[in-house]
Amino acid sequence: MHLVIISGATRPRGRSNTAKIIDAFQKGYKEGGNTVEVWYLSDRKQWAGAAAAFAEQENILIALPLYVENIPGSLLEFLSCLSPKKEAGTRLAFLIQGGFPEGSQSRCCERYLETLPGQLGCEYGGTLIKGDMFGLGMTDEKSRKKMLEPFVEMGRYFADHGIFDKEKAYSFAAPEYMPKSQVRLFRLIGHFVQRIFMGRLAKQMGCKEALDAKPYEC
Amino acid sequence: MKLLVVNTLSEQNEAARAAIRELKGMVSDCKVIHTYEMQLKPCVGCNACWLKTPGVCSIQDGYEEILKGYIEYDATVFLAGTALNFVDYRMKNVIDRILPLVTMYIHIVDGQCRHVPRYDRKYQFGLLYFGIADGDYLNQWMDRVALNMGGSSLGAFPIHQAKEVLSCIL
Ligand SMILES: Cc1cc2nc3c(=O)[nH]c(=O)nc-3n(C[C@H](O)[C@H](O)[C@H](O)COP(=O)(O)O)c2cc1C
Repeated sequence: MHLVIISGATRPRGRSNTAKIIDAFQKGYKEGGNTVEVWYLSDRKQWAGAAAAFAEQENILIALPLYVENIPGSLLEFLSCLSPKKEAGTRLAFLIQGGFPEGSQSRCCERYLETLPGQLGCEYGGTLIKGDMFGLGMTDEKSRKKMLEPFVEMGRYFADHGIFDKEKAYSFAAPEYMPKSQVRLFRLIGHFVQRIFMGRLAKQMGCKEALDAKPYEC
Repeated sequence: MKLLVVNTLSEQNEAARAAIRELKGMVSDCKVIHTYEMQLKPCVGCNACWLKTPGVCSIQDGYEEILKGYIEYDATVFLAGTALNFVDYRMKNVIDRILPLVTMYIHIVDGQCRHVPRYDRKYQFGLLYFGIADGDYLNQWMDRVALNMGGSSLGAFPIHQAKEVLSCIL
C-alpha cells in the first residue's frame, strides 16, 4: 500500500524532530514492500505537491509537532487551502509528538484532530501521540536510536492495521500523567539538572543573558 | 482596567469594528493592535526566545509590540477568524508566537509539566471568533492556552457577544 506522509513541522527538515520520527516510522512501514512519499511543509515550495498528493491519494498521515495545544499555524494554513474531497474512501491519520512527556498534553489537540478529517471529506484513521521528544535532535546517536525504535515498530503496526487503534495509541502515549515517583524525583533534583542542561545549551547558542531574564518588565 | 485587543481580522470587518467599539466602552484604557496587515510570520521553533535571547523573539515583524502588551495590560482579547471549525491560521500563528512569555524551565502542575512563566503576571486571555467554529472546543483550547502561560481564560465567544468576554472580570 502507498502512504502519503505530510510533515506539518515549521522547522527545516534537517533540524526537525518530526522529520526524524517520520524517517523511523516509514522504515517500519516499508518493510513489507509498502511505499511512502513524504512532503515537508517547512519548505513552502513543497506545498503544491503536498496538496496534489492529498487530492490524489487515499492513505494519508499528517505528522506534526504539538504547538500550543494544537497543530502549528502554518499547517492550519496549508489545510485551509485544501479542497475537501468529494468522494469517500480517503483515510487521514495523525501523529502528534510534543516536548512535554505526558500523553495528556496532546488530548486537546487529539480532540480537534478527531473532527478534522470530516471537514476535509476524509475518514478518521486515528492519532498516535508521543511526548518527551524535545531533546530528540540534541541527544547522541545511540539514545536517539532508542527513542526512535518505537516509531519503527508503529510503522509496522500501521502497515498491518491501516489505522491507529485507540487502545494501542493510548498505551503508546503513556504516561498519561507524570507518575508520583517521578514527580518526587523531579522536585528533588529537577531544578538543578535543568539549570545545568539548559545552561549548556544556552552557552552553545551564544546566550549572554540569564534564561529567566525579563526584557519587557515594566 | 487596561485591556489589550489583538485584532487578527481585517480592520474593515464590520463585526470586528462593532466588537472593538463595545469593548472600548467597557474599560478605562483599551489598546487595539491590528495584525491583519502585519503579515506576522509563524513560529519557526528556533528556540532563540528560550536559549539565545531569553524573552525576545528572533523574528522582527512587529510581534514584539504584542508581547509587550500582554505584560503591560490586565487582560487580552483576541479577535479571530475561523477555519475548519477552529480559529484560522492568522490567530494560531499569533498564539504560537507567545512562547517568549515563558522560560524554558519546567515545573510540574497537577501531574503535568508546564513552563515556568517569565513574568510575575496572571494573564487573562479571551477570544471572540467570527464565523463558524466549535465553541465548546474553543473554550477548552483557550483554557489550555492560558494554563500553559500560568494564566486563566476569559472564555471563547462568537464575536457578536463581545460583552460576555469581559463579564467575569468587570
Ligand atoms: C511554538 C511552539 C509551541 C509548542 N507547544 C507545545 C505544547 O503545547 N506541548 C508540548 O508538549 N510541546 C510543545 N512544543 C514542543 C514541540 O512540540 C517539540 O519540541 C517538538 O519535538 C518539535 O518538533 P519539530 O522539531 O519537528 O518542530 C512547542 C514548541 C514550539 C516551538
